[in-house]
Amino acid sequence: MTETMNIDDYLAQGGVLTSPANVPPRYRGELMRLMASFVDSELAASAGFADTINDAPGITSRIAACRITLEKADHAERVLRIMGEFGADTARYAVHHPWAARVARDTDLGTRRHGSDMRLSVFHYPFAGWVDAVAMNVLMGLATGLQMTELTRVSYAPLAEVFRAIAPREARHLELGLRGLTEIVKTDTGRTEAQTALAYWQPRVAASFGTTASARFETQKRFGLRHRPNEALRADWEAAVADRLGPLGLG
Amino acid sequence: MARFHPLEVTEVRHDTRDSVILTLRPQDAQAFAFTQGQYLTFRREFDGEELRRSYSICSGLDDGCLRVGIRRVDGGAFSTWANETLEPGAVLEAMPPTGSFHVPLDPSAARHYLGFAGGSGITPIMSIIRTVLAREPKARFTLVYANRQISTIMFREELEDLKNLHLGRLSVLHVLEQEAQEIDLFTGRIDADKMAGLFRHWVDPASVDQAFICGPEPMMLTIAQGLRDHGLTDDRIKFELFASGQPGRAKRPAPSKVADGAEATEATVTLDGATRTFRMPKSGVTLLDAALAQDIDAPYACKAGVCSTCRAKVLEGEVEMAVNHALEDYEVRLGYVLTCQCTPLSDRVVVSYDQ
Repeated sequence: MTETMNIDDYLAQGGVLTSPANVPPRYRGELMRLMASFVDSELAASAGFADTINDAPGITSRIAACRITLEKADHAERVLRIMGEFGADTARYAVHHPWAARVARDTDLGTRRHGSDMRLSVFHYPFAGWVDAVAMNVLMGLATGLQMTELTRVSYAPLAEVFRAIAPREARHLELGLRGLTEIVKTDTGRTEAQTALAYWQPRVAASFGTTASARFETQKRFGLRHRPNEALRADWEAAVADRLGPLGLG
Repeated sequence: MARFHPLEVTEVRHDTRDSVILTLRPQDAQAFAFTQGQYLTFRREFDGEELRRSYSICSGLDDGCLRVGIRRVDGGAFSTWANETLEPGAVLEAMPPTGSFHVPLDPSAARHYLGFAGGSGITPIMSIIRTVLAREPKARFTLVYANRQISTIMFREELEDLKNLHLGRLSVLHVLEQEAQEIDLFTGRIDADKMAGLFRHWVDPASVDQAFICGPEPMMLTIAQGLRDHGLTDDRIKFELFASGQPGRAKRPAPSKVADGAEATEATVTLDGATRTFRMPKSGVTLLDAALAQDIDAPYACKAGVCSTCRAKVLEGEVEMAVNHALEDYEVRLGYVLTCQCTPLSDRVVVSYDQ
C-alpha cells in the first residue's frame, strides 16, 4: 500500500491525523488555536467558578461548584498536554495569564476576543452571586454540549479522544446546573433573580458561537477541525435553551 | 520540552529487501518504558542539517527489548541510512516513546481485536498483537495486512510463529496488491467492496470490540468508512497515520541581500497561499501584530512565546525573537520563528505560515 494522497484531499474526505509529525504547518496553526481557545476558556471558567464555591447555599451545591472548578481545570490540562506534544511549554502556559481576571459586568465585548488570551468572550464577564453563576453554567453547559458534537470529531485523533473523554463530564456539569436552577426557581425571589441572570447571560453565551458566515470556519472545515457552521450550532443551542428552561417556567 | 536520549543499536536485522528491525538499548531504560503501539522520534544530522523521523515500536511489552521497524523510503535520508549503513554498536538519539495508538489492557476481557495494516504500518500493530496475546489470555486478534507482494511483507515469519504459539487466537489475512491469490478477496487494493466481503465472509463486525488502522492516507479513509458502514463507532477505531510524505529536508532561510539601515521593514507574509506585502517598523511591534493589523488572519494564542501557535518560517531576511519557550534549537536553525515575539532586523523579511 504505497498509494499516496495529498494531505488536503485526505482531510477533506474525513481523514484523521495522528501525530505532530504528520500535521501540515497551516493545520498545525489552526489546531493549536482551537486547543488554546479551549484551554483558556476552561481555565478561565474554573477560575470563575472557584469564586462561587463560597456563595453556594448548601453542601450539595458547594460540592457541585468544587467539582466544576476541579474538572474544568483537569480538562484544560488534558488538552494542554497535547499542545505540549507540539512544543508548547505547558508549565509556563498554565500560568501565563491571570485566569481569574474579568472585565466590568456592563462591558459589551460581542464576539470579540479580549486581552491577551484566547478564552471565549463570555468567560471575561464576572459572576454576580450564586444564582447568576448557576444561570450562566446552564446556558454555557448547553452551548458546550453542542460544541462537543464538533470537538469530539476533530480530525486530530489524539485530541478527539480527549474530547470524547471530557464530553460526558461536561454534560454532568450541565446537569448539576439544571439541578441547582430547579432549586432556585422554587421561590418567587429565586425565580426573579434567575430570570434577570438568564437575560444577562443569554446574549453573551449566544456570542460565544462566533460570527455568522465566518471565514475561519471555512478554513477549519477544510481541515476537518469543524463540521457545522456557527449559526447552525447557535440555532440548535437556542432550541435547547427553550427546551430545557421551558419546563422550569423560565422560557 | 522534548528531550533526546542516547540508545545503542544492539542488532540490525534485515527483515525484507527494504526494511530493517533495530534492537535498541537505551542508557536510561526507565525513560523508554513504553506502551504497545507507541513510536520513537529520532534525530540525526545529514550534511549538517538535523532530520527528525518517527518510527513505531514493534516489540511487545513482555519481549524484554525495544525494537523499531524502518522501511526504506525512496529518497528518504534517514530510512536509507538505517537500511544500508547502520550497524550494531552505533548510538542513536531519540525522544521517549509517545503516541496513543493503544487501548488499556484488561487481562480478564475476551476481546476481539481487528487490525488493518498497510505495508510498514504493521510495526505498531505488531507491538499490539504481541502484547495483547500475551497479556490478555482470552483475547483474539484478526489482522488484515495489505502489501504489494509477498516479498515486501514485513514480519512474515514472526506472524506465522505467533499464530503457532497462540493457536486459534491470531488470524492473518494477507491482501496482496500485485499477486493473485486463490481467493479474489485477497488480491488487489482494499476498497469498499473488499471491506463488505471481509465482513460478509470472514469477520462478524458485531464481534469486534476494537479496531486499529495503520497505513497511508487512502487506506485509512477506505477502512474507516468500511468499519463505520458496518456499525463500528469512532470511539472503537484507533488510527495511526503513516503519512506518505513526511516532510523532506527543509531549506535554510536565504540571507537577505538588502542593506539594513532603514527604520522600517518591507514585510511579505504568506498565509493559505495568499501573499501580502506591507511596511512595518523595526521596533515596537511584532511581526504577528503587524500582520494582524493588515487583516491577515494569522494563527496565534498566547502571544507570550510559550505555545507556538504562531509559528512561521522566515524565508528571507533576519528577525529577532524576544522570547522563545516553544521552539527547539533545530527549528530555529531551520528558520522557524514565533511571530508573536519577532521584530525584523533586515530591511526586508519574507515569512510564511504555510511551510
